[in-house]
Amino acid sequence: MAEPIVNIRHLNSWYGKGKERRQVLRDVSLTLAAGETLGIVGESGSGKTTLAKCVLGMVTDYQGTLQVNSPRPQMVFQDPYGSLNPARTVGWFLEEALRASGVGDRGERRARALDMLTQVGLTGEHYGRRPGQLSGGQRQRVSIAAALIQGSKLIVLDEPVSALDVTLQAQILQLLADLRARYQLSYLFISHDLAVVYQLCDRVCVLYHGQVVEEGGLDTVYDHPRHDYTKKLLAASLALD
Amino acid sequence: MRKRKNWYFVLGLILTALSVGYSALGLFWTPYSSTAMVGADRYALPSLAHPFGCDHMGRDVFSRTLEGASATLTIALAVIVIGFMAGLVIGALCGYYGGAADAVVMRICDAIAAFPSVLLGLVILALTGPGKYNVILALGILFIPSFARLVRGEFLKYRDRDFVRAARLMGVSPLRILFSHILPNTWPVLLSGLTIGFNNAVLAEASMSYLGIGVGPGDTSLGRMISEAQSYFTTAPWLVLFPALVTVLLILGAGMLGEGIRERLGED
Repeated sequence: MAEPIVNIRHLNSWYGKGKERRQVLRDVSLTLAAGETLGIVGESGSGKTTLAKCVLGMVTDYQGTLQVNSPRPQMVFQDPYGSLNPARTVGWFLEEALRASGVGDRGERRARALDMLTQVGLTGEHYGRRPGQLSGGQRQRVSIAAALIQGSKLIVLDEPVSALDVTLQAQILQLLADLRARYQLSYLFISHDLAVVYQLCDRVCVLYHGQVVEEGGLDTVYDHPRHDYTKKLLAASLALD
Repeated sequence: MRKRKNWYFVLGLILTALSVGYSALGLFWTPYSSTAMVGADRYALPSLAHPFGCDHMGRDVFSRTLEGASATLTIALAVIVIGFMAGLVIGALCGYYGGAADAVVMRICDAIAAFPSVLLGLVILALTGPGKYNVILALGILFIPSFARLVRGEFLKYRDRDFVRAARLMGVSPLRILFSHILPNTWPVLLSGLTIGFNNAVLAEASMSYLGIGVGPGDTSLGRMISEAQSYFTTAPWLVLFPALVTVLLILGAGMLGEGIRERLGED
């Protein structure tokens, strides 16, 4: 079996410092195979964002085994209004990623930025625009382009569609599925919405109070939930549909 | 969508252009020497030959305001350049990194800001002696804390934004994040802070020269002219009127320009 792109064993993680320090993740173990999409589901405060930050190296207060076999994993943030620099153009932002990874040639950076824009369903006309001139869906496409342009194979998606309306959600999810196939990407998909997870993920992992309470293939978890909390989550998301 | 006319910006720009142009002119040209004394012209009323009249020593007030304005402008600009550059670096590092170093530096800034600035200026000038460059140095140091505080607040606001996190994940260097990613977002606030700082610098130079601890006796500055003219306020009011008018023009222009810039850039 090929080596997993993320391998987490008995991970405990803490948030805050001193007296405020409290444990967020408790004995979490999970793997993400290359090319796979794993949904991390749970309510706010369940530790799913902390788990993502551990994988990205943004949280360092942890114990346990954490192996990430992908250089520079990237993240697509929830809020498309906060994840792009308001003072800079789309083209500048994409090219900045290339500058950071050492692409020295200006012409090449421009060409690759323009190419990446078409890959996410935008055009060269968006190159010179600032985030303020883009819609929420367009911004999220730019965020995705920025996450991919350095060639990262592991992308953490932190509620990437929950700020968008339903039609846009479907479009962005389709785009993510297309890009996954095109670039052999692995996704860690964080969401509180089981319906959205069902559309994109291969497996799902349910977090509750920092612990993995259920983990398995979509059919197993959706059709035969074992844990009470999973049943509640399912009931809640079905009620919304 | 119709944009509201930004009168502050337009008026501020006109006034600033006028007063800066006036001061710049004084660097290169004055109708008379600013120090030439003509006994017959003492207390001469404003006339065609001397548009702003002459002072108690028979010196042309117009020439002196030209030269005084350029001196005041140079000092004020140099002061905010020193204060802003140092404040920018200190404030950006403190705001972005935070921690114990930030706390220490900010307490030092508090201490400097809590001291009456004129008194502190006096102390510095007592150590260095009077003169144009020492005034610049003293005021420049005095202006660092307020700029540092302003910049720090802005960088603190942005350091945990998602776009900054995204840049960190991309491996962008901290220096680039500070000055290429965060800084452009702070210009609306920093630019209006700069114009306020400029105004304060003009006033500070004027008050220090007024107190006699500013530019040396041989030099001209607006503050020094007002200070020298105060004894003749009742007999020859034009001596104080014209330098005061130029000072007001300089301050008003920069103030309105700052307000206009904030309105213009803040709309985004």
